Amino acid sequence: MSITDEALVERFPGQPITHDNAEHYRGRLRRQLLMNRCAECGRWHAPPRPVCPECWSFDIEATPVQGDGTIFMAIFLHQGPPAPGVDYAVPYPVVTVELDEQPGLRFTSTVVGADNDAIRIGKRVRLGWIDRAGAPVPVFELTEVAL
Amino acid sequence: MTDSMRNTMKNHVAIAAAATTGFVAKNSGRSQTSLAAQAAIDVIRAAGLSKNDIDGLCGSWPGTHELQSALGLPRLTWSGNPMIPIVDHIATAAAAVHAGLCETVLVYHAAYRAAWNTGSALKDPFRRIATPGLTEPQPGPDTMAAGVGYTGWASRYIHEFGVKREDFGIVALNARANAARNPHAAMRTPMTMDDYLNARMIREPLCLYDMDVAVDGGDAFIVTTAQRARDLALPPALINAAVLGQVAPNEEDQTVSLRANGQQVVVDILKAKSDFWIDDIDVYFPYDGFTPITLNWIENAGWCKPGEAGEFLREHWDADEGRVLIDGRIPVNPHGGSLSEGATQASGHIREAVHQLQGLAGERQVPNAQRALITAGGFFFNAQGLSLCTE
Repeated sequence: MSITDEALVERFPGQPITHDNAEHYRGRLRRQLLMNRCAECGRWHAPPRPVCPECWSFDIEATPVQGDGTIFMAIFLHQGPPAPGVDYAVPYPVVTVELDEQPGLRFTSTVVGADNDAIRIGKRVRLGWIDRAGAPVPVFELTEVAL
Repeated sequence: MTDSMRNTMKNHVAIAAAATTGFVAKNSGRSQTSLAAQAAIDVIRAAGLSKNDIDGLCGSWPGTHELQSALGLPRLTWSGNPMIPIVDHIATAAAAVHAGLCETVLVYHAAYRAAWNTGSALKDPFRRIATPGLTEPQPGPDTMAAGVGYTGWASRYIHEFGVKREDFGIVALNARANAARNPHAAMRTPMTMDDYLNARMIREPLCLYDMDVAVDGGDAFIVTTAQRARDLALPPALINAAVLGQVAPNEEDQTVSLRANGQQVVVDILKAKSDFWIDDIDVYFPYDGFTPITLNWIENAGWCKPGEAGEFLREHWDADEGRVLIDGRIPVNPHGGSLSEGATQASGHIREAVHQLQGLAGERQVPNAQRALITAGGFFFNAQGLSLCTE
């Protein structure tokens, strides 16, 4: 059961929702991380586009990813935009993760449940979910807890 | 795909004059249009022109329609509103001149402290009105988009090469030392490495001094044919080559690597199309909106190997001058760059290059400067290059 475009925008205030990425946000409501995959050539791409950059097919499917991957970039915000439950007293981690589905396919979010010292480029992560302002947000967790 | 090496406008179009209002890191009490207008009037007068001579107008903020009316420019046959940084404006204006869409373009850029730049800018009610989208709900912090992306790639740079914060710091120190020689610069107080290392972290691993400084102020340029420029008041700075380099993908978090982005396109093409390269220049302007951009430009341009730019700058630090002089002679962003003159999206870099080639750089003047190289913009969708020379 899919919610209307109007309701979707209300659930994600401030997010730049378009015709091209709306399915990704609908997936979030089901706690599914959807990335675009070409139904013709099978290549993944991000962020969501209306056409496959590889083969120019418009037959694109928002498809669940496993969410396992490796941290590619890692930063810690000492200040940043207001967000519920984020106060930056402890610097807020933001990571770009290279997903196992395809080399170069990346998704950016935060890491939960780990000390900042343990959040490093090259660490393995898996997908998790938190709630923010009543909407699920895809996040990452370290696969192995640092000793 | 084979890169085209066409460059039919080489040395046929010139920057005939450049002018600035100077920059302040505080609310000026003026509008963006006021700053742009002042720089524009100064540059038209410096070139020995009048408002009737301007038939092309090129800038982003304010829009050309607004500045045309503010200045009462009677008739334009071409105008353009390109994207920052400002090599885009110079290249687009030059192309319009060379193609015959117009003859004499006023190019302008007004830097303006937007309400989201600083707490004090937010307190100015006129700035709040002038900052689009300020009252809209904002997306959360879980993104590498916009300026944050440079911090992400800084983390990657540290990871790949094991460099220390001092490597970023020397870029900031050089900028500040140069700004001390520039009366138009916003930040002229001397800075030490301890000052840098102790500065407030903003987005770790980058601190306050790794980021350019939000300012009020404007720059303006006259772009016209080399032939026309020769008859004007100042010696022309000829446009030898210009490149706007871009690769796909170019989003901040999808960009392939520090060695596979728009900077490589700029370097490959500018090197091939220009009559000179780094060994033959007198002054160098690598962009410095964030310090890691500067280090990567220095490496990608070929001054040193990947990961070695910090060491390169230390080796070429001139202790007597207290700043970088490559091979004892080539200053790097002698005006102080975006880090210390002010965040001008490279209009400051281009203006200083023109003034150096015209012999107008005051205390910063490189003796007999004849060739300047500008590598502007960052890694993603905004890498740009411009080579300028005297007659």
